[in-house]
Amino acid sequence: MFDWMADTYGLFTGWLFEEAVQPAMYALGLMDWAEEAFHWLDFFVFGLLGIGVVYLVCRPLEAWRPVERWEDGSAVWTDVVYTLLARLGILPLLAFVLFAAVQVRIEGLIADSGWVPPTLESTFPTLREYPLLALLIYIVILDFGEYWRHRFQHTFGWWWALHSVHHAQKQMTFWTDDRNHVIDDVIAAAWFGVIAVAIGVPPGQFPIILLVLRLGESLSHANVRLDFGRVGERLLVSPRFHRLHHGLLSAGATGKNYAVLLPVWDWIFGTADFDRGRYPSTGDPTAPESLASGGWLRQQVDGTKRLLRALRGRDA
Amino acid sequence: MRWRLPSLVLPILLALAPAARADLVYVLNSGEASITVLDAVTRQEVRRIPVLREPHHLVLTPDGSELVIADSGGNEVFFVKPETGEVLRRARISNPYHLEYSPDGKYLVVASLRRDQVDILDAATLELVHRFRPGDKPSHVAFTPDSRTVFVTMQGDRAVAAFDMGTRTHLWTQEVGPEPAGIIWHRGRLIIGIMGSDHFVTLDPVTREVRHAFTLGRGAHTIFPSPDGRSLYATSRVDSRLAEIDPETLAVRRTWAIPGGPDCLTFDPEGRVWMTLRWIGRVAVLDPRGETWETVRVGRSPHGIFFKPRRDGIGGDFALSMAGATSGTRPLAAPLPRRPHAGAPPPAGIMPGSIPPAPAIPAALRRTP
Repeated sequence: MFDWMADTYGLFTGWLFEEAVQPAMYALGLMDWAEEAFHWLDFFVFGLLGIGVVYLVCRPLEAWRPVERWEDGSAVWTDVVYTLLARLGILPLLAFVLFAAVQVRIEGLIADSGWVPPTLESTFPTLREYPLLALLIYIVILDFGEYWRHRFQHTFGWWWALHSVHHAQKQMTFWTDDRNHVIDDVIAAAWFGVIAVAIGVPPGQFPIILLVLRLGESLSHANVRLDFGRVGERLLVSPRFHRLHHGLLSAGATGKNYAVLLPVWDWIFGTADFDRGRYPSTGDPTAPESLASGGWLRQQVDGTKRLLRALRGRDA
Repeated sequence: MRWRLPSLVLPILLALAPAARADLVYVLNSGEASITVLDAVTRQEVRRIPVLREPHHLVLTPDGSELVIADSGGNEVFFVKPETGEVLRRARISNPYHLEYSPDGKYLVVASLRRDQVDILDAATLELVHRFRPGDKPSHVAFTPDSRTVFVTMQGDRAVAAFDMGTRTHLWTQEVGPEPAGIIWHRGRLIIGIMGSDHFVTLDPVTREVRHAFTLGRGAHTIFPSPDGRSLYATSRVDSRLAEIDPETLAVRRTWAIPGGPDCLTFDPEGRVWMTLRWIGRVAVLDPRGETWETVRVGRSPHGIFFKPRRDGIGGDFALSMAGATSGTRPLAAPLPRRPHAGAPPPAGIMPGSIPPAPAIPAALRRTP
C-alpha cells in the first residue's frame, strides 16, 4: 500500500514537472536549475499533501470534542490564509536553498584545504545502514533546535513582539500553527535551515522532516479536548500540552511547554507542565485587538509596529 | 531400479553445478540517496545500497574491477564490486558530480557542479593533484584518447573549458550554447548536448569551431556511443526523446518519444538500451530494433546507470568498451573490435580492450612527452 502510494506520488510529481515546470524553465533559460526545481516540487506537493493530511486528522477531532465553540469563526479563516501562504514550501525552501548555496561555497573554501566537512552519517558510520534511524535522529536534533527558538521567542522583547501575532489568537484551531508574522517566519526558516545544513540533512529527507514536524505542530494547536495519557504526554506534544502554552497566563517570558514535537525538552529544562486537567482559554491579553481579530495584512502591519517599538526600547 | 539412479543423481548434479548468474544493472537514485541493483533478466530489485546524499554519476576503474560511484551531496565516492554489489571502500572527495578516468588510467578528473571546481586526482591514491576553478557549474567531463587534454562543459557559462593534463593549465574556454551538458570525444572532435536548446553541436578542439550537429528536441542532454561503435544514442529531457545517431554523418536515424525524461544510458550484450527516466523513477529498456520499450520501477530521480554482464562468455572488455561504464565519455575512435584489442600491449593496470585503436588526433593536440 505504502509502496503504491509512493509510486503514485512519484508519477504525479514527474508528470507535473514534465508538463508544467520543466517547459517553463526551458522557456526562461533556467534549465541548469531543473534538478533543483524537481526537488522543489516535493516541497510544493508535500505542502498540499500536508494540508490535506492535517485537515483529515484534525478536523474530525475538533468536531468530536471541541474545547471551545464560537458563534463567529471569522478569525479562524485568517489562520487558513496563513496556512496556505506558509505551507506551500516557499519560505522553508528559500531558507534551505539560500543556506545550501552558502554551505556549498563555505565547503568549497574548506575543501581547498583537502578537508571535507562531516555529516551525521560520516561521523557515525553505522547510520549509513539505517537511513530511517538517521532520519529520526535528524528530527530529534531539529526539534531540539525548535524548542530553543521557541523559548527565545518568548525571552527577547523584540522577538515576542513578533511572536505575539501567533499568541493573540483567541480561537485557536489546527490552522493556528501557521499564524506568524512574516519576519518571524523568515527567522524561523533561517534558524531551521542553518541547523539542517550544519548537521547535513539530506535534501531528499527535508520535506519528510517538515511534514512530520508540521503534522505534530498542527495537531498540538487543534481545538480538541485531548491528551495522550500520563505516559504519552511525556512522549509527544498533545493538544492539551500545547494549549496550556497558549493559555492567557503563559504569554511572554513566563511561559511553559515550549516543545514543538517532543515534550522531553521541557522536562529536561524545567519548563514542563503536565497538568492534564486544564484547557485554558487562549490569547495574549497585552496584544491589541487587531492582532486577534484583524485580517492578515492588519496583523502584519501591527506586528511590525510592535516590533519597532520593542526595538526602540519601548513596550511592545 | 534403473530409473532410480538418474532421478537421484540429477538433482544432486544440478545442485552442484555452478548457478548461472544473472546480469546486474546498477541505477543511481539521486533523489533518495540509494542505488538500486536490478536483476537484468527478471527486472527485480536484488539489492538496494544506501548512500549518503545524492549519487549522480559512476565510472568503472581502468582495470574494470570496481565501480566508482560519486555521491555529490555526500562528498564521497565509493567503490563497489560490480559482480556482487559489495561496497569495498569509500573516499572523501569534494562534491563529486561527474567523473572520468584518463584513458591511460593515471588520473581521475572530477567535475563539481555546485562548487565550480574541476579536480584532477591521482587515480591510485585519490590525492588531489590540481584544482581548477574555471567558471560556473562544471558539468560533464571528456578526454582526448591520448589523455593529454580534458574538456568540461560549463553549464552556467554556455561554454566548454579545455585543460592540459601535462602542464595543468587552463587552455581555453569556448562558448557553445546555453547550458551545455553531456560531452563526448568522437573521432577527433567533441559532441556536446546543448540543454538550453534543442540540438547538439560539434566542437573542433583545434580550431574551436562550433557547428550544429543534429537537432533532437528541447533540453538536448547527453550522448553515448553504443558498445559496438556503430551508433550513437542521444537524449533530450524536455521533449522527452531518445535518438539513434549515425556516427559517421551524425544524422538522426531514428527517434523514440519516451516519457519521463531519458538521461543516462547503458547497453546490454543483446544491444538493448537501458536508460534512466529522471522524472518518473523508472528505467526504460528499449530494443532499438523495435518500437516498444518496457519500464522498471527504481528509486526517485534515477540518474547514472551501468549494466554489468555476469554471464559466461562476456568479459570485462564488454563493460569497458561500453559507454555506460564510463559515463559515456571514454574515447571511441572507431567501432571497437568484438575481441579485445590485439595491438601493442596496454599499460600496466589497463585491461585489454579498454583502449581503442589510436584515433586521429589533431596535430595541435599531439605532443611529445
